[in-house]
This record gives sequence, C-alpha cells and structure tokens, in this order.
Amino acid sequence: MKKTKALTLLAAAVLVAAWVTSPQTLSNDDLPDHAPDAVAGELVFWAGGCASCHATPVDGRRAKGDNKLLLGGGLELDTPFGLFRAPNISPSVTTGIGSWSMLEFVNAMQRGVAPDGRHYYPSFPYTSYARMSVADVMDLRAYLDTLPIVEQVVPDHSIAFPYSVRRGIGAWKRLNLDASAVIESSDELVERGRYLAEGAGHCGECHTPRGRFGGLLTDRWLSGAPNLDGDGYIPNITPAGKNTADWSQRNIARYLESGFTPDFDTVGGSMVAVQENLSKLPLSDLEAIAAYLKSVPAVARETDSNEET
Amino acid sequence: MRKQSASIFTFVTLLLALVATASDDVAEMRHDLMENDVRGAAKPLGAMLNGDRDYDQAVVLESLETFAIAADTFGDMFPEGSEGGRAAAAIWEDRAGFEAAMQKWRDATAAAIAANPATLEDAKPVVGPVFGACKNCHDTYRIEED
Repeated sequence: MKKTKALTLLAAAVLVAAWVTSPQTLSNDDLPDHAPDAVAGELVFWAGGCASCHATPVDGRRAKGDNKLLLGGGLELDTPFGLFRAPNISPSVTTGIGSWSMLEFVNAMQRGVAPDGRHYYPSFPYTSYARMSVADVMDLRAYLDTLPIVEQVVPDHSIAFPYSVRRGIGAWKRLNLDASAVIESSDELVERGRYLAEGAGHCGECHTPRGRFGGLLTDRWLSGAPNLDGDGYIPNITPAGKNTADWSQRNIARYLESGFTPDFDTVGGSMVAVQENLSKLPLSDLEAIAAYLKSVPAVARETDSNEET
Repeated sequence: MRKQSASIFTFVTLLLALVATASDDVAEMRHDLMENDVRGAAKPLGAMLNGDRDYDQAVVLESLETFAIAADTFGDMFPEGSEGGRAAAAIWEDRAGFEAAMQKWRDATAAAIAANPATLEDAKPVVGPVFGACKNCHDTYRIEED
C-alpha cells in the first residue's frame, strides 16, 4: 500500500517534471498573414547581430565585410556554463537551416526550440528575440534564404553537467522566457528603441547581470555585467553608467552610427561588431535606441564583479 | 600649429634617446602620444565634422599635421619586449598587418593634407577615411581596458 502511494507520487512528480520541462511551441495558427519581405529582413538581420556569432571566423578572427554574410557558424563562446559553438544558419539544406519551415524558424527564434523538439541553450538569445514581432522574424528568414550556402558541419557544444541536461532548460525557460517588455514606455520614439534594444538588438544579454543559473536580473537591467566570454566587464549603459552617464541622446546615436565616442575614442571589444551591425540601421532607429537608453532606470553596477545572486 | 608640432618633435627626440633603455617607457610614451596628442587633435576635427563647431581650415590642417607626425612615429613604438597596456598581442604576432594599418593612417592623413579642404563639405570625404583608419587599427590591434 505504502509502496503504491510512493509510486503514485513518483509518477506524479515525473509528470509534473515532464510538463515543466517540455518545449512550448507556436503552431501555424500563430503565424500572422504576412508575406515575408527579404529587404525588410536585412535590417532585422543587422539589428539582431546574427553575423556576430554565426559568421564563420576567418583565420581565427571575426569575419569582416562580406564575410559576415557567410553564416557557416563555428565561432566559440567559452563561458562559465561550457563551450558553446555557434551553429551553421546558412541556407544549406544539409548542414544549415535551409530545410526548416517558417514555423520551425519562428519557434527556434522565439521559443528556443529546435525542429527536433530539443531546447536551445540561452547562449542563443531567444529570450530577447521572443520580444520581436513574428512578422519581423519571418522577414529575417526571407533574408537569410537569400544568403550564400555554406557547407560546414559545426561540432556540438561542450557543456558540463548539470547544464548538459537539455530538458533542464525547459524549467529554466519557465522562469526566464518572458516576451513582455522590461521597461515599457508610452513615448513612441522610446518604445521603438525599446523594441529594438530589448528584442532583436538583445542588449540586455551582455549588459545585464545574470543570476546563479544564468537568468537575467531584470531589476538590474543594463547595469553592466561580467564578460561571460572573456575577461573584463561589460559596461553599465543605464544613465548611471560611469562612462556614458553624461552622453546626450545625440552622442549615443552618433556612437552607434560612427563607432566614435563623444571624446573621439573608438568603440572597443565585442561592441565593435555590434556597432558595425547597428550602423546599417536608419539613423531614426539609432536615435530611438538612444532615447530608450536615456529613459531606463539608472542602476549602479554591482560592486563585486564576481557577485552572484 | 607650429607650437604643437614642435612639442611632438621634442617628444620624438626624447623617445629616440630613450627607446633603448626600458620597454616600460616606450609603452608609456605610445600611450601618451595617443591619449594626449592624437586625441587632442581628433577632438576639434571630429567636432567640426559633426557640426558641433564652426569649420576652421587652419585648425583642420593643424590636427592633420599632428596626425601625420604621430603616424610616422607611432608604429616604431612597439619593439619586442614592450608588450602590454592596451596593445594587442596581434601587433607582435601579425607585424605586417599592423604596419599595413599604420600605412593606411599615413596615407589617409597625407591625402587629407594634400586636399587642404576649404569647407566642411570638402573635408568630409577626405577626413572621414582618417577617422576610419583609427577605427580600423583599434578594432584589431587594441584591446579593451577594464
């Protein structure tokens, strides 16, 4: 009798765990009636910074110029959670994503679920991309389809236990995958900036500190964080940031456009690639991002860069 | 203009005198040259290009000449054993690439001086590549500070 009860409890626990960790996906009914537009999708591509991770490195260095359009993957991100390798997202049917349906692409981008049902690791910033409009994601797919095919097999990530258990990401997503706005605004320009910065631009993924299991601490939004893929610290870009507090909205927009700070220093580190991508957006969008950054709450950076909460 | 060039000339002479002594000094000098002379010349030039300051041909030329002197010497300030600061290891690993980036700076600066732009509209197409050369080199050969 006792044994039966224990077994029933165990079975219930397994069912709950299965439910908690199961992939949550969109269906075809969730796709809007929208004709994918590759020209609009190119801007989404640059806003999203896809090339920064998925362009195949050249001679061990990040791709530049037209090589940014060769999305064969292979870039390595060496993080405390393990070694991630950016996959091939070129239109190759065999080694890229050429065989994916539009729905599969949208589910990958916005739900972090692969066509075979596995969860993606959040090193792929779908927690930000979830905030994009589905139409923008569809446009992006249309643009990616126009890029060159790259035949290249990228080895899988090398992740240590417990992070190696992909089902665990399902539970993580229940806590951390939230498509709602972080800092909402009723101002039209700021709201456009928010859409770009919190969504495709995924600024928070590097500039916001993470908790013990890698979830973004949204109450410390954009206040700076240890660099997960190397040394140093990713700057605080809230109005409390030590380097940028006195930058005007115009200064920020100009920096994103030209790569030069108001002091005529140049953009550095991993921001070089981000700035180069963003410079392809219309100036009005860069102004919007700048307006958003001026509007977010000023939060001081955590004093101990190793601090985890 | 003459005064600034003279101070750089003194600086370079000092450098040559010291270059064989300690690599720390070279590292400090190249840092000073960038942070003070080059940045000092870039600020008024950039402000004019951005329309934040009235165009002044004499100031433009002064800045460009400061660049020209700096560009002639800066590449020699990275001898073996002087690694450190914000200098990327790539300078020593890929000396040819670094020299090419330096050459780009020299060429762009020389072309802008030769053009001697009289107006902001004339300046934009020739001074833009000079700033482009800054960025081009920093992207690969300078590392981020904390």
